[in-house]
Amino acid sequence: MVDFALTSEQTSLRDMARKFARTEMAPHAAECDRAGRFPEEIYRKAWELGLMNLNVPTEFGGTGLSLFDQCLIVEELSHACAGMTTSIIANCLALEPILLGGTEEQKHRILDPFCAEYHLASFCLTEPSGGSDAGSLKTRARRDGDHYVLDGEKCFITNAPFASLYTVFATGDPSLRHKGISAFVVPRDTEGVLPGKEEEKMGHRASATSTVRFEGAKVPVENRLGAEGEGFSIAMRTLDQTRTPIGALATGIAQAALDHAADYSKRRQTFGKPISEHQAIQIKLADMAQAVHAARLLTWQAAWTIDHGDRGSLESAIAKCFSSDAAMRVADEAIQVFGGYGYMKEYPVEKLLRDAKLAQIYEGSNEIQRIVIARELLQRYA
Amino acid sequence: MEIAVLVKPVPDAETRLRPDPAGKGLDPEGVKWVLAGYDESAVEQALLLKESAPGTTVRAISYGPAVRADEVLRAAIALGCDRATSVEAPAGVADDPLVTAAALHLALSRFPASLVLCGKQTGDHESGLVGPAVAELLAVPEYGVAVNVRLDAGGAEMTLQQSVEGGLLRLRAKLPALVALQQAWNDPRTAKLPNILKSRKAPIDRVPAADVAAAVAARLPLATRRLAFRLPPPRTGAKMIEYKTPEEAAQKLVRILREKAKVFP
Repeated sequence: MVDFALTSEQTSLRDMARKFARTEMAPHAAECDRAGRFPEEIYRKAWELGLMNLNVPTEFGGTGLSLFDQCLIVEELSHACAGMTTSIIANCLALEPILLGGTEEQKHRILDPFCAEYHLASFCLTEPSGGSDAGSLKTRARRDGDHYVLDGEKCFITNAPFASLYTVFATGDPSLRHKGISAFVVPRDTEGVLPGKEEEKMGHRASATSTVRFEGAKVPVENRLGAEGEGFSIAMRTLDQTRTPIGALATGIAQAALDHAADYSKRRQTFGKPISEHQAIQIKLADMAQAVHAARLLTWQAAWTIDHGDRGSLESAIAKCFSSDAAMRVADEAIQVFGGYGYMKEYPVEKLLRDAKLAQIYEGSNEIQRIVIARELLQRYA
Repeated sequence: MEIAVLVKPVPDAETRLRPDPAGKGLDPEGVKWVLAGYDESAVEQALLLKESAPGTTVRAISYGPAVRADEVLRAAIALGCDRATSVEAPAGVADDPLVTAAALHLALSRFPASLVLCGKQTGDHESGLVGPAVAELLAVPEYGVAVNVRLDAGGAEMTLQQSVEGGLLRLRAKLPALVALQQAWNDPRTAKLPNILKSRKAPIDRVPAADVAAAVAARLPLATRRLAFRLPPPRTGAKMIEYKTPEEAAQKLVRILREKAKVFP
């Protein structure tokens, strides 16, 4: 039996996230966007309220939500500010490799103290020479007795300047390609771990992004997740889990764009009546509403699939790709509904377009999502 | 010590309200019931007192159809209340402040408290009658428009402030008592996600509808009858005055008030 109705528990979770988004995030979104400010006081509050380590089971100090419930929350937060949301959910991405590849001992040793206080973690996969082609990463992990020595550089790393923990993917032998990659948990205070300066970004400007250099960083063997060579698989399975919330994040941007456009269209007058009474605008709003609705349902279905034990590669790729493309289209149309005002930074819709763009790029570009979709699809025609 | 906090389910401010088909009340279809405004301040006050006096337990009590009352009771538990009592409204009994007070009084007789807190009024009917009526039935004093209650002498006394015209009145009073709180003076907290999850499974004590019906029978028939329930007429568009100087704006406004609105002769 398929059921699209939320339970009262889910409604309360969503309402709480909505309240936080409206009262704590939205009032600061424009200012943080303009200044490129990382509002750590908001992130600290998000952690206090349990909005941060959503995917970590309660036994390790997290909130322990299903992927579906995570998506409900992410959409609400993103409606207020996608950039802040990226920083709030970056822990989920960074900690997922530990949940997937860590032993019980590792999970308790690393996650218990991490979740007990406000901490940020960063997922370090992408490198300057390539993001989508993760199998050919160049950061080296050389075994030396009871530890590994890490050398190399990661880039576009969310929260890196403020993180206290990094999950790092590095290779023991580049000639082995993806089979040579292992995953490591690296504390920030390790000697030779050097986060770079914050990047100036087009959007998501309330989030911080930088490089992280590893120069002879010594990581104890007990911080390796899974076996040697298992790192690539851990990274891909991590992204299978975290791709769907990006669909929810994009849905939040799209819903915000529709809300702004519909509200404005009822107040703005041309030719003696509100522009919402012109069919040209009604058609735009109707198309935007369809895109938002489809994005949300695809995201829900992908989350539902994964919560029911399926890997959900196809569904999550569809959800992420469709929703982020939809967010771009809807934000673009919202600017058009606002006309000249929409192009001005004083109004909220141009930010949505800049924020939506990243959702097409990060956590697997939409081109990669389409490759995944085609591969999964064509297997079914064997 | 035991603190009771009275919470009423009211329609969410964003709910689109409409009259029922008979035009005598609110159509409950699709309405989201929330703990709002004044009652949030009362819950926050109760939790602040609990935090300042170890061993204090806070019980939230709500009267209404069980589905609505349970919703706000779970919200109160998620915020930090220890226990909850749902006082089930008998079918066919109209919403009336004195009936509500009698029902809540029944609950308080089963779950006694030395301090009863509530919002000074609720965000729907705004009658402001339930708190004083409950105090009357309990035969304890009632302190209205209160802010900042503190317990003294091991919970035998309290100090509180009342926001009166132009200032604050500081009082010391003996318990038991009922205090009706001013809205949002204490920046009510937000429930944490894990507590929301736990609150869904928390047990709720119940006062059955049949018991309530017997307790309120003396109040029936009601002293007041509701004749009609209508929404205010839709707002018409605001008219912007275009001007270059404040003097010009004032002159244009006066002209509109005189000629169109006929405010001035």
